[in-house]
Amino acid sequence: MRRNRRSATGGGGDLHLQALTKRFGSFTAVDALDLRVPQGSFFALLGPSGCGKSTTLRMVAGLETPTAGRIRIGESDVTASRPFDRPVNTVFQSYALFPHLDVRGNVEFGPRRRKVADAAAQAQAALELVAMDHLAAARPAQLSGGQAQRVALARALVNRPEVLLLDEPLAALDLTLRRRMQGELKRIQHEVGITFVHVTHDQEEAMSLADTVAVMNAGRIEQMGSPTALYDLPRTAFVAGFLGRTNLADGTILGRDGDWVVVQVGAHRVWLDRARCAEPDAPARSAVRVGIRPEKLRLHRVALGEEPPRGGFTAALGPATVVDISFTGVSTEYALDLPGIGGWRVFEQNLDIEDEDLRPGDEVVVSWDSRHAFGLSGRDEPASSSATEEDLVGAPGVIR
Amino acid sequence: MKRRTWLPYVLLAPGLAWLAVFYLAPLVQLASVSLQSPFPGYPGYYYRNVDVGNYVTALGSFGAHFGRSVLYAALATVFAFALAYPLAYAVAFKAGRWRNLMLVAIMAPFLTSFILRTIAWRQILADDGFVARTLGVLHLLPGERITETWVAVVAGLTYTFLPFMALPIYAGLERVDPRLIEAGTDLYAGAFTTFRTVTLPLSMPGVLAGTLLTFIPAAGDYVNAELLGSDTGTKMVGNVIESQFFRVLGGYPVAAALSIVLMGLILVLVGAYVRRFGTKELV
Repeated sequence: MRRNRRSATGGGGDLHLQALTKRFGSFTAVDALDLRVPQGSFFALLGPSGCGKSTTLRMVAGLETPTAGRIRIGESDVTASRPFDRPVNTVFQSYALFPHLDVRGNVEFGPRRRKVADAAAQAQAALELVAMDHLAAARPAQLSGGQAQRVALARALVNRPEVLLLDEPLAALDLTLRRRMQGELKRIQHEVGITFVHVTHDQEEAMSLADTVAVMNAGRIEQMGSPTALYDLPRTAFVAGFLGRTNLADGTILGRDGDWVVVQVGAHRVWLDRARCAEPDAPARSAVRVGIRPEKLRLHRVALGEEPPRGGFTAALGPATVVDISFTGVSTEYALDLPGIGGWRVFEQNLDIEDEDLRPGDEVVVSWDSRHAFGLSGRDEPASSSATEEDLVGAPGVIR
Repeated sequence: MKRRTWLPYVLLAPGLAWLAVFYLAPLVQLASVSLQSPFPGYPGYYYRNVDVGNYVTALGSFGAHFGRSVLYAALATVFAFALAYPLAYAVAFKAGRWRNLMLVAIMAPFLTSFILRTIAWRQILADDGFVARTLGVLHLLPGERITETWVAVVAGLTYTFLPFMALPIYAGLERVDPRLIEAGTDLYAGAFTTFRTVTLPLSMPGVLAGTLLTFIPAAGDYVNAELLGSDTGTKMVGNVIESQFFRVLGGYPVAAALSIVLMGLILVLVGAYVRRFGTKELV
């Protein structure tokens, strides 16, 4: 298994979706999706269940026929080609290993159908790549979840596809195993250099694995970019809530001060960097939503006379009441009630042990460096209702 | 809480008692009768003995009937499989909302007595009936008739046991995970190759059950040969057993010997078949 070796089915290239649409009756599962996945990248489609990410994947695999739009891989248009004619392979969510074949038979299945000369040798190499060669004679029913996952990966990779599709491949594994398999996936993708398109609802999985993450919601891509860019500067409340946690406050634009937008939040004034506003040219008096990540906030204990530093662009809100404190070892998480704004959360790293610490009911002021805040459209639906689903792993939603 | 170790036995008892009285006892009786000798001077009376002569008669005089039973049952099994598999496949994968209706249609013939249905086949295949006349006009009927030939007997057997073939195959196909079929097409297998390499092997437990449920009763059947076959040349073992029991004075021991041989023959054939095609490893 060498890096960047081409499959027999034509020159490599980017995966390119153009206005891809899928409707089931009156329900639009995927809505005019435009997407370019660079060749050799690790790409994640992230979104809640029912957002259309799996349907998108199935259309790329050829298991679902698009209602409209095109799918290209490099120069060739595969929109109308059958699944077995596409240089695309899938790692299915439940692995879908053939129960009547042993591990080797499963991995050899693709090469045998393509009638390659050294199917057995290729299968052996693929099994070695995923460290499963010692169980080549086992039946799928005898494998653990993690082992079945590796076999499913080998069964797809052995065909050297242009694009490897992974449909929630780690969802069935327990947390420890999932974290380990994430590392494995990253190593294997690096080793084979094949384009990986990974569908998941686990934001942590998407961020730690992928070069580029596209956040999907209701059949559309809300925002796409590197994990750091998405986390640092979400453009919609949905993205802000789906990737990590976000504190939001509704405000009104007062005006502009150089590169800064001045916003009235309750009785306070805060600043937003124009470059970090979703709508940088929104006029005065229009609604805006200020977002700030919990770890970017500082707490000032009112009882101790602490105050936020003056000057610069330090913004502050308060006083707020501490509602709940949870100590997690590396950090302490505070739930605050900001009158007129809502519930906020603050992560404070445990740099030192303080004797005189906060208790529920204590009053605090929160402050932050204005360069860390971001502005979202004030007309957005409240993100908390659309972003959170009870069963979503690692999708805590927005705190307001 | 103390485990009630006697509970399983209590639950098993009624079934075991039933089997002992209505299966095991008659079987022992049958084996014993098959070894009895006719009482000299009193036709129709027997005395307890170990008379293997009945088995010699059974095998010596009725070997052809055994051959026909196995052959006809095997042919009926093959034809029933050829008809039932596409049918079951269509019901399992293509029927959509018609699925339940089609299943009812497969089972509907059971609502009518099978004797009546077999007699109906006599009408359908009769010499002046539509089928025989059409085939005659097309010169496809060398013997000029269908009834009283082995073709009619095999056709009748095929028809009678078709649902016993179709339903287990349907149950087997219905259990095949559609995602495995998707995985097949994703891994470069076309529709037919996916069927051959994925769907068919996975449906083998159903096929195995269906062939057994067809072959075993078909080999012991006598109604089809009686009603659709001729008096000579198409009789099966079942017909001989029937006539030895009911029509031949003093035929009980030979009929019993025939039954025991047929049972042994089926056991051996089925045992070999299951050993060869058994799918124990399937999940």
